[in-house]
Amino acid sequence: MTRNPMLLRTAALAGAFVLAGCTAGGGGESASSGDKVTLTFLTFETPNLDAKYWDAAIARASKKVPGVTIKKLVSPSADRTGYAKQLDGTGQFPDVMIGLNPAGFAESGKLAAWSDKELAPYAEPHANTYGGKVFQLPYAAQGTFVYYNKKDFAEAGVDAPPRTYRELLDAGAKLKAKGINPFVVGGGGKDSWADMFPLICTVATDVYKGQPDWLSQRSAGKVKFTDRAFVAAARKVAHLADKGYMDRAGLSRSYADTEQAFRDGKGAMYPMGSWFAASADAKKPGFDTGVFAWPTDNGAPALPGVTGGGMTVSSKAPDVALAKKWAKAFMEDEKNLDAAVKSDALIIAIKGYKAPANMGPVYKETAATYAKAQKEDGIVNSFSQETGDGSMPPGLADKAAAGVQKLLSGRMTAREFGAYMDEQWEKATR
Amino acid sequence: MRTRTHVRPERSAVELARREDVAEGQNPVAPKQSPEPGRRAHTRDRLGRFGLFAAPGLLVYLALVLVPIAIATGYSLTDKNPFHPPTRWVGLDNFAGLASDGEFFTALRNTVVVTVIVTVVTNAGGLAIALLLDRRGWLYNALRSVFFVPVVLSAVVVSVIWQAILVDDGLLNSLLKQLGMDHPPGWLSDPSLALYTVSWVIAWQGLGFCVVIYLAGLQGIPQELHEAAEIDGCGPLMRFRHVTWPMLAPAVTINTVMSLIGGFKAYDQVQVLTNGGPGPGTTSTLAFQVIQTAFMGNHIGYASAMAVVMLVVVAAVSVVALRLLQQREVSS
Repeated sequence: MTRNPMLLRTAALAGAFVLAGCTAGGGGESASSGDKVTLTFLTFETPNLDAKYWDAAIARASKKVPGVTIKKLVSPSADRTGYAKQLDGTGQFPDVMIGLNPAGFAESGKLAAWSDKELAPYAEPHANTYGGKVFQLPYAAQGTFVYYNKKDFAEAGVDAPPRTYRELLDAGAKLKAKGINPFVVGGGGKDSWADMFPLICTVATDVYKGQPDWLSQRSAGKVKFTDRAFVAAARKVAHLADKGYMDRAGLSRSYADTEQAFRDGKGAMYPMGSWFAASADAKKPGFDTGVFAWPTDNGAPALPGVTGGGMTVSSKAPDVALAKKWAKAFMEDEKNLDAAVKSDALIIAIKGYKAPANMGPVYKETAATYAKAQKEDGIVNSFSQETGDGSMPPGLADKAAAGVQKLLSGRMTAREFGAYMDEQWEKATR
Repeated sequence: MRTRTHVRPERSAVELARREDVAEGQNPVAPKQSPEPGRRAHTRDRLGRFGLFAAPGLLVYLALVLVPIAIATGYSLTDKNPFHPPTRWVGLDNFAGLASDGEFFTALRNTVVVTVIVTVVTNAGGLAIALLLDRRGWLYNALRSVFFVPVVLSAVVVSVIWQAILVDDGLLNSLLKQLGMDHPPGWLSDPSLALYTVSWVIAWQGLGFCVVIYLAGLQGIPQELHEAAEIDGCGPLMRFRHVTWPMLAPAVTINTVMSLIGGFKAYDQVQVLTNGGPGPGTTSTLAFQVIQTAFMGNHIGYASAMAVVMLVVVAAVSVVALRLLQQREVSS
């Protein structure tokens, strides 16, 4: 039989390609050899949390846990949860992740649960449980506040931040009368999530204050979005837009442009997450910024907040115990916490931790407002941002944001919005 | 009666081969054998050479195109959800669900609108610009490069730039306000406009590609044809109609099919400019809907069914368009 060297060479080359295909992405896999382990760590980058910040934090944690080599993965967008799903779908689920929404991952056994002993240093160890277990270190809290332009308030004769919803409407009327746009809103394009903040506030005050587990009840089919309480919350938002207190032109703005609009004085009030405090202190606008919690009708506190945001560890990590050890070392390192507070204005929920004394005035006022609400038992869930058992079905937060665009632009009534949310809920849970 | 001595060429070739065999000392009347070892080895060698050159490309195509298509088709027949194992076989249930899914049909309609606009704008605009740039000189060379720049830019970068121009308080509306328009349009915030705005951005980015293809087509038309038409008394319009346009048929085919496929795949610009909004599904395209359903809603099986439908629609449209345009090429 004549052997054909060309065929052999072709077969060898093809084999090499197949092998190359098999090992493609091998660099992204975790590896363990002896007492040394390589772990993949999924992060995300923002203007506040840049590559330098993450590299320094990783180095500090790795110093405390010998034998661990970290391979950093950066989510291509701020949506690290979506990216983690993609990685999971291709068999490259990271070993350690920060700021991941555990919903779905937790229930399907993809994450390792934290024990009570491991959670001992945390102030609210059971902030987000899935079937009684905790899968994400609850290391920090974030809330939704109203940041306001003190110069505009003074000019319009608004002497103090509103304490009731009626006072908020009065402030809006005074500002509008002075030719000042009361609220800056935004959330165009890929940043549609940013239009949710007014609704997050009204759902907190009008729904969650009275029924803290409302979303769990929705899951159980006991309540609906077309119920009076939720429609009332949506109507408040629509009403503010109809009165011209929210500049509808802002609805096509990106998140960054929305923040810039507030900085540029295009509106007196800016409902936004507490992370804005870091930005306001780091790069002060041309006015003093104040902060208050969106008020309820009767003045009782109802501040939307989320505690969590920390590390999650894959249950399939090459060395789960070591991965957890590294994750905790990262989370509980004081310098890392200080950096997180400075970069993202986090309200740290670890026992004994004190924020750096040199934090700016907006952060201090934000943290004080949160602490006051906490003391008065006024922290409620943050609609669409919930994690744990009483959280939204996957994908529904995006649908809600799309609906809010219509609500704010006057193309959908509050009742229609409620019906739309019910319809989307059914689709998401089928 | 003359005897016919003519033999069919193929027979004469066989005869010739036989004679060569006889000349090499072989028995011409021996029973027919399979091709001799030398020829077989030669064929194998040629196959080997072909394999050597084609294997890398075929492997890549297999791994990156055919295998994913097969996997997606398999998923489309299941209820795959990464968070709800085990995956169950559901047959055609996903496709039945699509048949009554209003959001899917909205996305399909939006995709058709985007595709039509992109195809018409890129081809008409591309041809017009190519005709203008079909001249010699450094200025025209520079302009060709300028028109091609958007093609090599990332769709995300292009979308971010256009977003800055098109937002309600962006550059375009600021300019319109300065020109005296009190209420300029909400290019991205008005549901009745947003889809056309997104289509425009996609078309703008694809324009350069069409320009280059049409320019290549124009430069391939022999000058003698234009001269002959001119001698026959044809003006510029007549020359375009009877010489340029028919000779551009292959370029029209390439650009039309590429634009159709590009339009059907529209995703990046939708994601960045509108995220499918303003409001639910206003600018949602098929590709956008597939990604949302798969990675936001975790319904991998259902999203795969959408992707399969998308594949069939794109393939069918492309094949039909290709056939029609190639027939036109032949008749031209």
